[in-house]
Amino acid sequence: MSPRLFLHVFTIQSRKLMSYRADFWVSSVFAFLTELAIMYFLWRAIFAESGMDRIGGFSFEALILYYVAAILLGKLIRGNDRDVTVSTDIYEGSLTRYLLYPSSYFKFKYAEHVGTMIPSAIQLVIFGVLYLSLSGAPADVHVTPATVGMTVISVAVSNLLHFALLYPIQLVAFWADNVWSLNVMFRFACMMLGGLLLPLSMFPEWARPVLNVLPFRYLFDVPAMTLLGRHSVAEWMTGVAASLLWIAALGIATRLIWNRGTKSYTGVGI
Amino acid sequence: MIRYLRLYLHFLRFSFSRAFEFRLDFYFRILMDCVYYSVHLAFFAIIFARAGVVGGWTLDQTYIFVCGFLVADAIHMTIFANNLWMLPVFINRGDLDYYLLRPVSSLFFVSVRDFAANSFVNLVIAAGLVAWAIARYPEPLGAVRIAIFAGFILLGAFLTYLSRMLFVIPVFWIHSSRGLEDLYYTIDNLAERPHQIFPRWIRWAILTALPLAFVSSVPSHVLFEGLTIERLAHATAVTLGLFAFVVFAWRRGLSAYSSASS
Repeated sequence: MSPRLFLHVFTIQSRKLMSYRADFWVSSVFAFLTELAIMYFLWRAIFAESGMDRIGGFSFEALILYYVAAILLGKLIRGNDRDVTVSTDIYEGSLTRYLLYPSSYFKFKYAEHVGTMIPSAIQLVIFGVLYLSLSGAPADVHVTPATVGMTVISVAVSNLLHFALLYPIQLVAFWADNVWSLNVMFRFACMMLGGLLLPLSMFPEWARPVLNVLPFRYLFDVPAMTLLGRHSVAEWMTGVAASLLWIAALGIATRLIWNRGTKSYTGVGI
Repeated sequence: MIRYLRLYLHFLRFSFSRAFEFRLDFYFRILMDCVYYSVHLAFFAIIFARAGVVGGWTLDQTYIFVCGFLVADAIHMTIFANNLWMLPVFINRGDLDYYLLRPVSSLFFVSVRDFAANSFVNLVIAAGLVAWAIARYPEPLGAVRIAIFAGFILLGAFLTYLSRMLFVIPVFWIHSSRGLEDLYYTIDNLAERPHQIFPRWIRWAILTALPLAFVSSVPSHVLFEGLTIERLAHATAVTLGLFAFVVFAWRRGLSAYSSASS
């Protein structure tokens, strides 16, 4: 796929999302504030009742900043996962026209997926800057130009990793009539095991080795912790390398599923 | 009333036979809800490994609260959710005509026509979880209190439906459902936490205007502290008020509905 075509698909998709401005602002402002408020009041109660200064290596202020970072970066990394329409294309038979295009279907869909990141990028800048300027960074958090730079790279890799994880799930539509529940299951797993609901440092010791071998931690926890200056350069590089390895492995698996799936694809649709 | 019951039995029969036509999806959905339940329980288990109390509740009390929420959610998913997901599509495409032409209440018909057979299996699992949470509770709770708790959970499921309707009905005027849907599913997260952790103004909101605290938080309080006349009157007033408002909004929405061009 040529970079020009990639950019074209990306632009169309981002314009499509931005065209519903009321929806965009309602969902972005309220969703962010509500998600953050729930975590804020929950942890405020926990800190107040336990009398502890730090839980799981976080002060209360640092933990809230972690959630700000994880929620906003998470939106950027997931893009708009509901707009990944691979299963719908297979189910409705509209995949046929893509098969006739002189371009990779995977790349086409990834360009669309990247296009859904634009609204999230706008939200990240607005809310991130607003939050930091209103509350300031707590003493145990060190956001620097270097951590921001490393996070940008992490986000790009994590976004591709998220898509690489989601794509084979969508391809199950070659054999199943509805994969919506698999998508939702994947979303729950990402939220819990990726660090959106809780920083992974909160998990018990016995769970850490399991979390370390799974790809989910590279989705939200690693980028957020990198931004907050809690990962060294070496840890960050290990994270990026591990993500790339996962992407390569998933790429091979996806290729196999795609080859088998397209053989059973009839193009009839519903 | 008998006519409505007979009609509902027909809905059940159609829904079960349809669910078994898509067997793989049927099992996927059961698995999906099991993952959802695990996430909720694990979230609080991890927190309680680090803190002894959340919102004045112990782990045992919180498990009852979480499992109560899962039951209310499963009831909502079984009876109402599928219908409410499709309602904006019906309104925008003009498919609502089909429902309006039937000789029964259109609100009843659109709200309960599709019974989610797969979620019914999950309802059984969620009920098992709440039974487990009550059984492991260190003090005796008493059959009467447990029965009242169960009644309040049913009410919570109904209030979830009414709250969700508040975010679906505006589609009659604004046509796009996506922002409202996102908004509801974000606000709905308030029901997943004990309401006493929130400041007064949020507590007021989720105990009156959008009564998400009644999904499981208030029922759990009733179970642990007993039912008072004030609480019963509050629950009755909130339910009747919200139900009347939803019926009123539905009628106004129907008068704005112009079939396929809506």
